[in-house]
Amino acid sequence: MSARWPDPASALRRVALIAVGVLAWETAARSGLFSPLIVPSITRIGYQLWLLATQPESLVEAWYSVARGLGGFALAAVVGVGLGVLMGRSALAAACFGPIFSGTYPIPKIALFPIFIYLFGIGSLSKVLLIFLECLYPIVITTQAGGRAVNRVLLWSAANMGASRARIVWKVVVPATAPFIFAGFRIALPIAMIVVIITEMISSADGLGYLVMYSLASFKTDRMLAVVIVIALVGVALDRLVVRLRNRLVFWERLESYYAE
Amino acid sequence: MRRWVSLALPLATLVIWQVAMRFEHPDFVMGPLEIARHFGEALWSGELLPHIGASLMRSLPGFIVGSLVGVVLGLLTGIARSLDQLLSPVVFLTYPVPKIVFLPIVMLWVGIGDVSKIVVIALACFYPCFINAYYGARGTSTIMVWSGLNMGARRSQIVRKVVIPSALPLVFAGLRVSLALSFILLFSTEMINARSGLGFLIRQSESSLRFDLMYVAIVAVAALGCAGDQLLVLMRRRVLAWQEATAR
Repeated sequence: MSARWPDPASALRRVALIAVGVLAWETAARSGLFSPLIVPSITRIGYQLWLLATQPESLVEAWYSVARGLGGFALAAVVGVGLGVLMGRSALAAACFGPIFSGTYPIPKIALFPIFIYLFGIGSLSKVLLIFLECLYPIVITTQAGGRAVNRVLLWSAANMGASRARIVWKVVVPATAPFIFAGFRIALPIAMIVVIITEMISSADGLGYLVMYSLASFKTDRMLAVVIVIALVGVALDRLVVRLRNRLVFWERLESYYAE
Repeated sequence: MRRWVSLALPLATLVIWQVAMRFEHPDFVMGPLEIARHFGEALWSGELLPHIGASLMRSLPGFIVGSLVGVVLGLLTGIARSLDQLLSPVVFLTYPVPKIVFLPIVMLWVGIGDVSKIVVIALACFYPCFINAYYGARGTSTIMVWSGLNMGARRSQIVRKVVIPSALPLVFAGLRVSLALSFILLFSTEMINARSGLGFLIRQSESSLRFDLMYVAIVAVAALGCAGDQLLVLMRRRVLAWQEATAR
C-alpha cells in the first residue's frame, strides 16, 4: 500500500475489479428488472457527474462541505496535538485531562448537535464545532500515546547537551511523536467527513450532504448517486493528502498499523 | 493525590455549571441537577425505555453483523494471499468514504424502515474491524509461525493457536472503534428518519421545545455509549488476560 509506484499487476487488478463492478451495475440497470429510479444506468449517473463538475453552483456546495470539514479538523489538529503532547509529557496534565477524555470518549458527540444548533446557530459554526469535538478525541489519544513513548535516551542526551525545556519539546518530543500524530490525523479525517455529511443531511441548506438528501427527496436518484460518488472521491482524496503529507514530513519512521502505513 | 487531581476537573466543571444556572440563562440550557431530575422522571414514567429498546434493536444487529463479518474476513485476508489480492484493494479504497452517504441508496433498495439503518450501521462497523483484524493477522511474528510449523502443528492449528491470539489485541481495538461508530451512525440515521429511538427523541423534543426530554435522551445516549464501551473493556480483560498481565 505504501509503495510509491504500485506494481502493474495490482494496479490492473484494481482497474479490473472496478470494471467488473461497473459492468454488473450496467447490466442490472439495462436488464429492465429494476426501475431506473432504483438502479439508474451508469450513463445517466455519468451525465449527472458531468453536470456536477461543470456547474459552478455544485462546486460551491462541495466547497462548503470541504471547508467545514477541514476547518473543524484543523482546529482539532492544533488543539489536539498541543493537548496530546502536554498530556503525554506531563503527569499533572495527564491526571487533569485524562479522565475527562477517557470518560467521554465513548459518548457519541453527534447527540449534542441539537444543543450546538441552539448555542451556535444553524449555520456553519455549529457543524465546525461538532467536527472539532469528534476529531479531537482520536488526535489527543494517539498523540498522548506517542508522547509517552518518546525514547528516554534522546531526552537525556538533549538535556545533557544543555537544551532548554522548550527546545527539547520542539526538537525531540514533537518529531518523535510525529508518526503517532499523523496516525491520529488519519483516523480523524474520515470522522470529519462523516460528521460534515451527517450534519448537512440533518440540517442544512448547502453542502454535499444536503445535496444528497435534496436529490433523493426530488426522486433524482441518478443525481444522488453522482453526489455520493463525489463525496467518496473527496474522502479518498483527503485521505491521500494526509498520507502524502506524512510521507513528506515523517519520512524516517513507520508505525505498524494501517493508519501509519 | 493523583486521584484527587483526576477528580478535580470534572467535579469543578459540574459545580461551576450548576452555580452558573443561578444567573439568567436561556431555556435550552439546563443545570446538571435539573437534568438528573428529569432523567429520573422519564425513566420512572416509562417514557424513555421504548426508545432505548428501539435504538438497541437497530444498533446491536448492525454492530454484531458488521463487526463479525469484518473480523472474519479481515483475519482470512491477513492469512491468505489470494484473498488479500482480491479483497484488500477494494476495502482500502472505499475505507475513507463516509458510509452514511449510502443511507439514501440503501433506503431506496430495502425501504425506509429499520433494515436500511441496520445495513448502514453494519457497513460502517465492517471497516475498522476488517482493517484491524487484517493488520493483526499480518503482524503475527514469523518466528512464532515457524516454531509452530517446526513442532509439527497443522495449518488449522497454527491459525487457531498462533495467528488468532496474536491478532486479538488489534481485533479488540477495531471492535472498540466500531462500537463507537455504530452509535454515531445509529443516532444520525435516527435523526434523519425514524419514528422511534433515541435519535428520534432528541430531534422531536428539540423541535417541540421539550428541552427536558432532549437532555434526557442525550444523557441516555451517553450512558449507552459508556456502558457498551465498558462491556467491551471487561470482555477484553477476560479474553486477553495474558496480554493485560504483560502490559502492566
